[in-house]
Amino acid sequence: MGRALDSLAAALGLAGLAVASGLVTVARLAAEGPGPSTVVPLLITLIAGGSALVRLSSREGWPSRVATPLLFGLILLWGWEVVVAGFQVPRILLPAPSAIGEALARAWPTLAADFWQTFVRSVIPGYAIGSGAGFLVAVAIDRSPFLQRGLLPLGSMISAMPIVGIAPIMVMWFGFDWQSKAAVVVVMTFFPMLVNTLAGLAAAGAMERDLMRSYAASYLQTLVRLRLPNALPFIFNALKLNSTLALIGAIVAEFFGTPIVGMGFRISTEVARMNVDVVWATIALAALAGSASYGLISLVERGTTFWHPSFRK
Amino acid sequence: MRKLAAMAALAAGMLGAGGAQAQDKLTLQLKWVTQAQFMGYYVAQDKGYYKEVGLDVTIKPGGPDINPSQVIAGGGADVVVDWMPSALATREKGVPLVNIAQPFERSGMMLTCRKDSGITKPVEFKGKTLGVWFAGNEYPFLSWMSKLAFSTSGANPDVKVLKQGFNVDPILQKQAQCISTMTYNEYWQIIDAGLKPDDLLVFKYEDQGVATLEDGLYVLESALKDAKTVDKLARFVKASLKGWDYAVKNPKEAADIVLENDATGAQTEKHQARMAEEIAKLVGKDPKTVGRLDPAAYERTVAVLMAGSSDPVITKKPEGAWTHEVWNKAMGM
Repeated sequence: MGRALDSLAAALGLAGLAVASGLVTVARLAAEGPGPSTVVPLLITLIAGGSALVRLSSREGWPSRVATPLLFGLILLWGWEVVVAGFQVPRILLPAPSAIGEALARAWPTLAADFWQTFVRSVIPGYAIGSGAGFLVAVAIDRSPFLQRGLLPLGSMISAMPIVGIAPIMVMWFGFDWQSKAAVVVVMTFFPMLVNTLAGLAAAGAMERDLMRSYAASYLQTLVRLRLPNALPFIFNALKLNSTLALIGAIVAEFFGTPIVGMGFRISTEVARMNVDVVWATIALAALAGSASYGLISLVERGTTFWHPSFRK
Repeated sequence: MRKLAAMAALAAGMLGAGGAQAQDKLTLQLKWVTQAQFMGYYVAQDKGYYKEVGLDVTIKPGGPDINPSQVIAGGGADVVVDWMPSALATREKGVPLVNIAQPFERSGMMLTCRKDSGITKPVEFKGKTLGVWFAGNEYPFLSWMSKLAFSTSGANPDVKVLKQGFNVDPILQKQAQCISTMTYNEYWQIIDAGLKPDDLLVFKYEDQGVATLEDGLYVLESALKDAKTVDKLARFVKASLKGWDYAVKNPKEAADIVLENDATGAQTEKHQARMAEEIAKLVGKDPKTVGRLDPAAYERTVAVLMAGSSDPVITKKPEGAWTHEVWNKAMGM
């Protein structure tokens, strides 16, 4: 009997019970408001959900690895919904997840157009140019000590400029459309890439470099076959960091002048119109985009740097 | 020891005397930064009109990210200065704002275009780029475009709209053919930047029949349920209208008072003196009715806001969005 209770099926069963009673709680809150009828399903959800989480997180195997964060996320969303409904929190202060989901569905064409304008037209070109430029300048600095003394301090100065200061200037230089937002993203992503690539290029060991020298390898051969592969973990570090910075930069830059489409524009105008659920829907979309791009880069990193000690079990 | 006791008694006595005349506190949130647009309130404070009626008024200036409706919804002010479109839209979203006074009877909003863009009349806006502020100021513009049957959003809008920042660069840099300006502020910024009145063509919202009521005083509905608060508000309205009366008659002095109250030091005497004169043209002229919201003007504003075919600013006629109770009480004092 004890062994049976330890099984995956039992854990998933408890999770299912938690989800079901969670839905019942939300439905009863929506229909009748907070009261005695909601207490029992609430307690069942908490106890079953907590128990399921404990069991799932201590298990091995991919079903548990997927189910644990999923269940935890669902319980958090459920908790949010219950608190907002139970305490009658005003909609303009904090909308419930159901209201946000409904706003997402209702405003989907607008939000999709905003996503296209911000992410595809501003973030991606800016990210590519900024990271690419950072990488190339790092290789150049590595080659030439003169550039190292001249460019590196300049790079750190550029990175210290606040985006709320650069953004209006970029709008004046590059106009209102995606070019100015991409320019802001370039400024933001340049320095992390530069610094990380430089650190990566220095990562190859002295013994390995000596070995290449003994093979009469040229600078380019050493760079391509030894030093760049060793620099990859650092470069991916910068790429992951830049993916979040790029999204932030593009959204904030849109507060300062934009054609009337874009995620930053949507957030600033809808908050002024008190459509806070649309603001949250945009935030949710931005979070999803940011996590998805981070995950994608991590996947590519895994594929190319599988040899690195950090991936050993 | 005796000296200490005597000093303590003296201090207590002074505190007691100071506390005897408790003035009612009131916080006013302005719609924008300290400027002559709000000269009536600053004059009333400076000349002691608020003190006369037993009020201790704190005037909070606004700014680019400060929405007066949100400030009052969050409890940061007792009274706000806001424009009617924004107040009605906020009311529909669940924040019950009520208009208690309307000092501005005319609209100062206009679209300023460069003559070299080739635009001579509104129908020629098609295919052009127009700058509009957002954050509550876009409603009159959207209503006007709707009236002209121009689309402003979607894949191929008739009119390309830019969210302009709070400056006049887009028209100077030719990034937009026309931008939104106020008669008392941005228009003069364009002139100061070097363009001449002959280079510009202005379309006043009043002339186009799409003007909406601008600076008015708003409170939350709950404030009007308490008789003591209504009395406080009536005293505030009375003193404010007295301040406006003085400011309109003495614009230069009013501009100087505004400059003294400007904590940022960014305003200039020339700009404020000009603004004071232009604002004086917007305030109600008849001393017997100044500040009293004209129901016909209110209905016109509501009609403009509901006329937007695809995206009306408000979807149903507001109920109880204004009251004469406070103004009547103020006039009776």
